Amino acid sequence: MAQSKTTKTTKTKTNSEDYLRMYRQMVRIRAFEDQANQLYLSAKMPGLTHMYSGQEAVAVGICEALNDDDRITSTHRGHGHCVAKGAEFKEMFCELLGKAEGYCRGKGGSMHIADQSHGNLGANAIVGGSMGIATGSALRAKLQGSKDVSVCFFGDGATAQGLWYEVMNMAALWKLPVIYACENNGYSEYTRTDEIAAGSILDRAKAFGIESFEVDGQDVLAVNELSAKLVERARKGEGPFFIELKTYRYHGHHVGDINRDYYRSKDEEAEWKKVRDPITNFGKWLESEGIASADELVAINDEVAADAEAAVKYALDAPYPPGEEVDMHVYKGIEHALA
Amino acid sequence: MPLDVIMPALGMAQDSGHLVAWHKSPGDEVAEGDVLFEVETDKATMEVEAQGAGYLTDVTAAEGTDVPVGQVIAKISDSPEGSGEAPAAAPAAEPAADAGGDGGDLPEGKDVIMPTLGMAQDAGQLVAWHKDLGDEVGEEDVLFEVETDKSVVEVPAGVSGYIAALLAEPGEDVPTGQTIAIVSAEKPENPVRRSAAAAAPAPAKAPEPEAKAEPEKKAPAPQQAKAPPKSPAPQADPGGKILASPKVRRLAMEEGLDLSRLVKAGYPQPYHVSDLETLRSLPADAATEAAAGGAAPARHLVAEIDPSALEDFVAWAGEAGLSDPGALLAGLAAAGLPGASGAVAVEAHGATRVFTVPAGGALGATEEAEAETSPDLLVRDLRGSPLTAVSLGPEAQPVLTLAGKGGTLSVTLECAASQLTASEAVDLLTAFAGRLDEPLRHLL
Amino acid sequence: MREITLSKAVNEALAEEMRRDETVFILGEDVAEAGTPFKVLSGLVEEFGTDRVLDTPISEPGFVGIGVGAALTGARPVVDLMFGDFLFLVMDQLCNQAAKAYYMSGGKLNVPMVLRTNLGATRRSAAQHSQSLHALVAHIPGLKVAMPSSAYEAKGLMKTAIRDDNPVVIFEDKLMYQDKAPVPEEEYLIPFGEANVKREGSDITLIGTSSMVQVAEKAAEILAGEGISAEVIDPRTIVPLDEKTLIESVKKTSRAIVIDEGHQSYGITGEIASRLNEKAFYHLDAPVLRMGAMDVPVPFSPALEDLTVPTPERVVEAARKLVSGELIHAA
Repeated sequence: MAQSKTTKTTKTKTNSEDYLRMYRQMVRIRAFEDQANQLYLSAKMPGLTHMYSGQEAVAVGICEALNDDDRITSTHRGHGHCVAKGAEFKEMFCELLGKAEGYCRGKGGSMHIADQSHGNLGANAIVGGSMGIATGSALRAKLQGSKDVSVCFFGDGATAQGLWYEVMNMAALWKLPVIYACENNGYSEYTRTDEIAAGSILDRAKAFGIESFEVDGQDVLAVNELSAKLVERARKGEGPFFIELKTYRYHGHHVGDINRDYYRSKDEEAEWKKVRDPITNFGKWLESEGIASADELVAINDEVAADAEAAVKYALDAPYPPGEEVDMHVYKGIEHALA
Repeated sequence: MPLDVIMPALGMAQDSGHLVAWHKSPGDEVAEGDVLFEVETDKATMEVEAQGAGYLTDVTAAEGTDVPVGQVIAKISDSPEGSGEAPAAAPAAEPAADAGGDGGDLPEGKDVIMPTLGMAQDAGQLVAWHKDLGDEVGEEDVLFEVETDKSVVEVPAGVSGYIAALLAEPGEDVPTGQTIAIVSAEKPENPVRRSAAAAAPAPAKAPEPEAKAEPEKKAPAPQQAKAPPKSPAPQADPGGKILASPKVRRLAMEEGLDLSRLVKAGYPQPYHVSDLETLRSLPADAATEAAAGGAAPARHLVAEIDPSALEDFVAWAGEAGLSDPGALLAGLAAAGLPGASGAVAVEAHGATRVFTVPAGGALGATEEAEAETSPDLLVRDLRGSPLTAVSLGPEAQPVLTLAGKGGTLSVTLECAASQLTASEAVDLLTAFAGRLDEPLRHLL
Repeated sequence: MREITLSKAVNEALAEEMRRDETVFILGEDVAEAGTPFKVLSGLVEEFGTDRVLDTPISEPGFVGIGVGAALTGARPVVDLMFGDFLFLVMDQLCNQAAKAYYMSGGKLNVPMVLRTNLGATRRSAAQHSQSLHALVAHIPGLKVAMPSSAYEAKGLMKTAIRDDNPVVIFEDKLMYQDKAPVPEEEYLIPFGEANVKREGSDITLIGTSSMVQVAEKAAEILAGEGISAEVIDPRTIVPLDEKTLIESVKKTSRAIVIDEGHQSYGITGEIASRLNEKAFYHLDAPVLRMGAMDVPVPFSPALEDLTVPTPERVVEAARKLVSGELIHAA
């Protein structure tokens, strides 16, 4: 199935179509991650991968407030941002498997996956590594008078990187249209965030005079509503903004991190999954509002699952890049750097 | 549809996982999220949960074994009886002989191992089983045939009982020491048949880790490509390296020059392109030693004869059909060489010709040789020139020079001391001068 | 032809490119009214305003990262890194982000950014303001590295760097800012990857980068008086490197000395010497010599600092040995 284009109005979603798209996008992220998890565990996928499951409302709530000209920078846990910013399953799975048809022609992989044509400036394997890039994108927008907004996704762990404070300072000085979106999933790799973060993360942004907000990252509507408002204000030159999104990752830091009792209890995980799942809860809301029936939601789930499965199958059979690809795209304007 | 239970890839750089323990037994009911088994990877033990609900069946990996990641090690089925289908991803695994037999738990009994029979043997090929599952077997009964060191050996069971497991298939190569059968005391209820590849890691008693039939998986170590042996270097190495630049080496090779001659001639190393000039001007090999050595002096002998006899002889020979005075000179000179034969160059009027003079041959047998032939002797005919005597120093071969005018012909022999001993030199010149003085004697 | 300082040449190049292309802007510490500590950029802010000549806080990783982001999305920033020594601060943004974006995105994103910085010792600035760290970035695929040797090169290479679609690091020698050279009034570009044969010769090739080109030229002058004919070549960019011109020269002269102000070990001199070794081996009549900065942190005391850099006298001494065929380092 072709993913619907993310060219939409930036108004707060007020109609069923928008709600259903948000639901579908969250389901797509979950389905993508389930397949990716399985591909990794079954040793069909090279390398390492980090699951976004549980945080879907963050990526979808924010990206549904953006249009194609708006830019995002993503993280090592970036599949969700990639899907939410409009990427297709086929090219994503091809990239995950290092195949020629991947978004990055197989040269990026899980940690650099991005559909650049929808304004995704890339997933970054350096924690906090893209904070300068998002800020620079916003500076460019301001200098060139374009109205696009840049969103910098990063985790709570990245708030420990000095780069953030440098670029927040400049963004605030220059009133750049950038939104720093901290997905606080409570854990910095294998460590509880309260063990690595002193004081309040929100206050850190406030210290630069940046308007800062906290939002329930499991509530896609809340995220979307806030984001839409801030994106509009940023377009008018009222940025930058900071949002701390309280969320939760269902998996470990990476796929193999399965016995994590030493930093996180099973009860806690079960509780989040049971009570705070962004997809289940949004589904219930859609039903209660009469926007979709339980059967219709199941149909969406099934359709997306089938899409994901078909894309995986396609990617598994797709060819690897030919060897001559290896020295291509080292320098723009030089077809083969080592020729 | 049953759900595959796979050995998961969990570590950062992991090819296989060590199955530490099953938390469920075949046939047990499991719920999603139940801990199914423990895996050791990257030095940490992890509990792996069931991904769905059902019954654990078709267990193909035993505790204590290493399983490649991605391999199906069990299924979660809708019924405790299992799927009845072979686990797709288990390479070469065969289902147990009967549906109820599970491959995970081997029957109790005594191990029969692949014996080491040859002189230098680390595996044996199982040719055939002589007993089948459940058969009764005696200690002396032939249990299987094995091929090793090019001969087939029948191997007795060694123990009595019943065949409870056959853990290799005919045609398979099995590392020696690996258990290939289990003989139980009682008739087995769930005998097991497997290939050695699948069974290899199974017996916990496998004596050595090397015995595990895993190496097949490994890519063969890349063969070190050996450079073909080099042909001997054209120039002699006078013992020890010659220090010379890559460029001078290349140019010397292109021109066929031998850098070692610079060493012999005593020029100091390293050599560069500028030394090529010197190398080119060095006299040919043998003389080099004399010239450079200085220790062994050059020889210089002079005889004087009446030229008329030679002139008469040449005229006579011309009438007899031997019209080449060069060939005649060569023939006369060669008579003084050891064996009275060899290659003689005659240099006259600026041109050099080489003749070969066969042993004991008549004058007419002398033939002109290829220009490249290196002569044993050079005759330099300077008759008719204003020169009356020479002293040119040694050359690549001994040189006889004819010079003088009027009534006297001087014959000079010059050579390096290394080329001829003093008496050889005296003999050569005496013989040559004698023949020139009385050429007709030569014919006798 | 008029002669202008290297400083003025850089200033002209930036001004011309900023007039030509509105997406070009300058970003860095004290680049606007201050015009940098070396006053290279003086006057630009007056013409282009503070939107295009942007003073940043002292946040090197931050503003280099911002440069990368701006370049990724359609601007052509010239990021000013006040001292080459600060490269160590910006390694992630330059080497992990800028250098790799084009490759990791499979050719879909590129970073047309210039990082302008400097090198060079003997300014009595001690170990943290005197380094020549171009080898560090030349090691990273995806970055181009230009090393102007005079005002003429500084202008032509800067203009090419700004128009290049890849991240380019350009190193100016901070001791050469006031050195004058003939620079045409009319516009010109110097293509990357084209070495300049500054002086022709037949006995030995002296390959110098940046200010070491001047050292090589002085050495060649002295050698000429001794009857030794030295060819002097300035590669101008070390990535890409015009290997062909260097190899052709060495094939002719059979000898070479590579002179560079970076530390000798694991540096540019070793890289170039190695390529000559591999590709001109059978034409070498002597080992290719490396002559880099001494492998010590740059000392403060003039008495010590001057010992650490290659000088014309040392080049002459080495050239004499090579040409005379003296045994060099052969056991």
